Amino acid sequence: MVKYGGWAGKVLRVDLSTGRTWTEDTVEKYKDYLGGTGIGYKVMWDEVPPGTKPHDADNPLVFAVGPLAGTGAPCNGRMAVTTLWPTCWPKPLVASGHMGGQFAAKLKYAGYDALVIQGRADRPVWLSIVDRKVEVQDARRLWGQGIRKATEAITQITGPEVVVAAIGQAGENLVPMSVAISSVSHSAGGIGSVMGSKNLKAIAVCGTGSVRIAGDKEEWEKLIKYHLSLLGANNQHVVPNSPQPWAEFYEPRSRWVGSGGNVWGAATRRLDTGSCDPHDLNRIAYRTNNAAYFMGEIAWQYTVRGNGCTSCPIRCHTLMKVPALSTKYGIPEVGQNTCSGLNFGRAFFKKFSDGPRGMTNVEACMVGIHLADDLGVWCNYSQMQRDFQKLYYEGFIKKKLGEKEFKSYSWDKYEKGDPSFLFELIPRIASKEGELGTALGLGTGYLLERWSIPEEAWGKDKELAYWKMGHPKHHSTEDAGQCGLLVNLPYNRDAQCHSHSNFVRNGLPLAVQKRLATEVWGSPDAVDAVGAYTPMNPFKARMAKWSLLRKELHDSLSLCNWMGPWVASPLKERGYRGDDSVESMLYSLATGDKKNRQELDHAAERIFTLHRALTIRDTGTREMRARHDTIPEWVFTDKSGKAPFTKGTTHMDRNDIKAAIDMFYEEMGWDRASGAPTSQTYSKLGLERVAEDLKKRNLIP
Amino acid sequence: MTKTSASMVKTEKAAEPNRVKETEPIAAIAAMIRQESKAGKLISASEILRRGAAQKISPTPAAGPAEEAGNILRKVVDENEDLHELAAEDSSRSYYSSQFMTGAYAGILLQKQGDPLRLIAEIVRQNSAAYPRPVPLDLFTQPPFGLALQDVLNDLERMSVRDEYRDIEPTTTSTSRVFLYSTLHLDSEHASMLAEWFDVGQSNNP
Repeated sequence: MVKYGGWAGKVLRVDLSTGRTWTEDTVEKYKDYLGGTGIGYKVMWDEVPPGTKPHDADNPLVFAVGPLAGTGAPCNGRMAVTTLWPTCWPKPLVASGHMGGQFAAKLKYAGYDALVIQGRADRPVWLSIVDRKVEVQDARRLWGQGIRKATEAITQITGPEVVVAAIGQAGENLVPMSVAISSVSHSAGGIGSVMGSKNLKAIAVCGTGSVRIAGDKEEWEKLIKYHLSLLGANNQHVVPNSPQPWAEFYEPRSRWVGSGGNVWGAATRRLDTGSCDPHDLNRIAYRTNNAAYFMGEIAWQYTVRGNGCTSCPIRCHTLMKVPALSTKYGIPEVGQNTCSGLNFGRAFFKKFSDGPRGMTNVEACMVGIHLADDLGVWCNYSQMQRDFQKLYYEGFIKKKLGEKEFKSYSWDKYEKGDPSFLFELIPRIASKEGELGTALGLGTGYLLERWSIPEEAWGKDKELAYWKMGHPKHHSTEDAGQCGLLVNLPYNRDAQCHSHSNFVRNGLPLAVQKRLATEVWGSPDAVDAVGAYTPMNPFKARMAKWSLLRKELHDSLSLCNWMGPWVASPLKERGYRGDDSVESMLYSLATGDKKNRQELDHAAERIFTLHRALTIRDTGTREMRARHDTIPEWVFTDKSGKAPFTKGTTHMDRNDIKAAIDMFYEEMGWDRASGAPTSQTYSKLGLERVAEDLKKRNLIP
Repeated sequence: MTKTSASMVKTEKAAEPNRVKETEPIAAIAAMIRQESKAGKLISASEILRRGAAQKISPTPAAGPAEEAGNILRKVVDENEDLHELAAEDSSRSYYSSQFMTGAYAGILLQKQGDPLRLIAEIVRQNSAAYPRPVPLDLFTQPPFGLALQDVLNDLERMSVRDEYRDIEPTTTSTSRVFLYSTLHLDSEHASMLAEWFDVGQSNNP
């Protein structure tokens, strides 16, 4: 009898240089790190020496899931892919991409908690995983194909049950701004070129197994229903975007857009979403339509349905059918994606002739989806598009390109907002064609370096949203003041943390948010009204720590941090409370390893601290505060000249932020002066061997 | 004419099986209120009485004195925790069931029956106070408000010259979308910043 449920039990190792495959015992080696990014960081710490480069054969790609992947737990479709990050500037460091879809569950059903790929094949290959049968297949005929064709070709060989994660031409050409995509639209940004450097075109996985739940099955089903009852719409927005009979509150910018009269107009049978009463658990999928959220009312008529990940009722990838696309642009009428992927095309343009929510915007989104998700180009949370706009409108592109290359682009089309311009631009990025295509494909940091633009110039421009190390902010001060800022400090790419932003954008009135904040972080002062920030206090630091630990916890369990945490709910009868313990309840029942909320948070802190240790080791300095946790200048400036803490500004006060960082480091057990974890902190988390290694390198404060 | 008569006959026939026993008027009225709430509607006292008469609920409130009708409706509310009475400005009464409708939504429906200027002002003030946030003008063109855009614009023009609405102000975003806020709860720069954040910022920071 296997001791634990949840985990599949094995980590699959593949060395593409030799073709050797073998397995390791998950629980024995990785249980303290749960799974997902936890396994990823552990592999990177144990096996990858400092100085390794992203495209070196020795840089592993760690596709890892957690004990909840493939179970019935809601929103469990997240696959963490950890590696040395090609767009991390000026020096690649560890980071993770997160791919939704069905890949995570399929890997579990095949019997694996993780897939660690190292080495480099001597020719293009694809990896076939069907239960215990693992084969390295010849991919020479697939090389040069887009993601869709490659996926179709592999599926024809393996059958439709297989899920394929493939790279496009961008990954093959070692363009750092590249992705791997599974199930048509689910991308892990930033890892495409690492796969390409290994000559790995695709991974196909299929399993006939299941995930064992250790606890009582009735309890488990009860818990799943309980968790479902706490769900809101996408991003855990818990109120609808317009008044509904069942709702006490509404928020016009909520992603809960379903309501009576809103119809999926391109569905086989036109389908009215209804008013989406939160007590009807069979209609959760009708709450979200991210095409309508981003494109406006016009999107409803083109909506076929929502699509999404394993065991997630939210369906945040909206499937659209736009008949005009085939005649106007010669591309398929159907496409799907969410958030930055959905907006990939339109984000290049400053304006459209028919306004921001017209038909041209829809077409730009669809053309962008078609090109980016086939060529496998990454947007870096839309930083590529913001960079492009600035570079064009401020004359950098004209200056840096030769005349011939500059004239080869239809800039009149671009300025008019003609989506067909994207056919000129995106393929050139994927193939590193010309100076512009090459530079954009490098990622912001390396692009700025190549074009001799000081990083500070980007850091001064608030509209650019650039943060540091080649990457943008991801829900910073605009969302949660000092807490948002702190969340954006520790990572080596954009933070991808939604714990805090999902709370402050949940749509509940400020008084309700403050009541919930008191229960979770100890004081109503943990949260402020947007644009009416108050000075730093310890509760905001506590919220920041909680936000980061929940992100790592989700990334390690395979829960979706784009959806969770679930500390607010749509339920009036619960006072809109969610449940901060739902993760530990799921974990305990699934695995049989009983852990309460604090104990599971402790594991998350171990994982997060290992990420910090990796960053310190690989940068070779413990001076994180001065050299890593940096803040762009735009955070401290406001065009209107308003002082910090006055209403109507989100800009911060330097001294207050110094205090904020002090409090955050204190919460984390990190040395105030350097920002490096102390020996005691490593010991408390069971990371003594990590501390010993760092001590030898003089990297402990 | 013929069509109307046919429709009426059909309605009466359909009501036959539901004809209420004389001993159950309170339960019948409660069911009527719940049914309307389930459909997302308020029901007025006069409508209850009219239907009561049509369904021969006894004692037939419409046939009795106003005081008797009022007593029965009060009893309906008192004996059913989920049923609530709302009074409009003109003192007319409406009813809803909180099994199917929140007080907030019922309040919107009640205000909608009255002065649209007051409806707009109250909604704007509530949002500015509670969140705080400005609301897009087009909110009022969507259900359950369902006002025509031109009517909203006309209403706002009328409001701009009336003292009781002088706190209601517009602010326009970079995409030319108009938001409304109340100066009682939001200052203009805060409202302007929030409108831009809701209209443009959140989409650009997904």
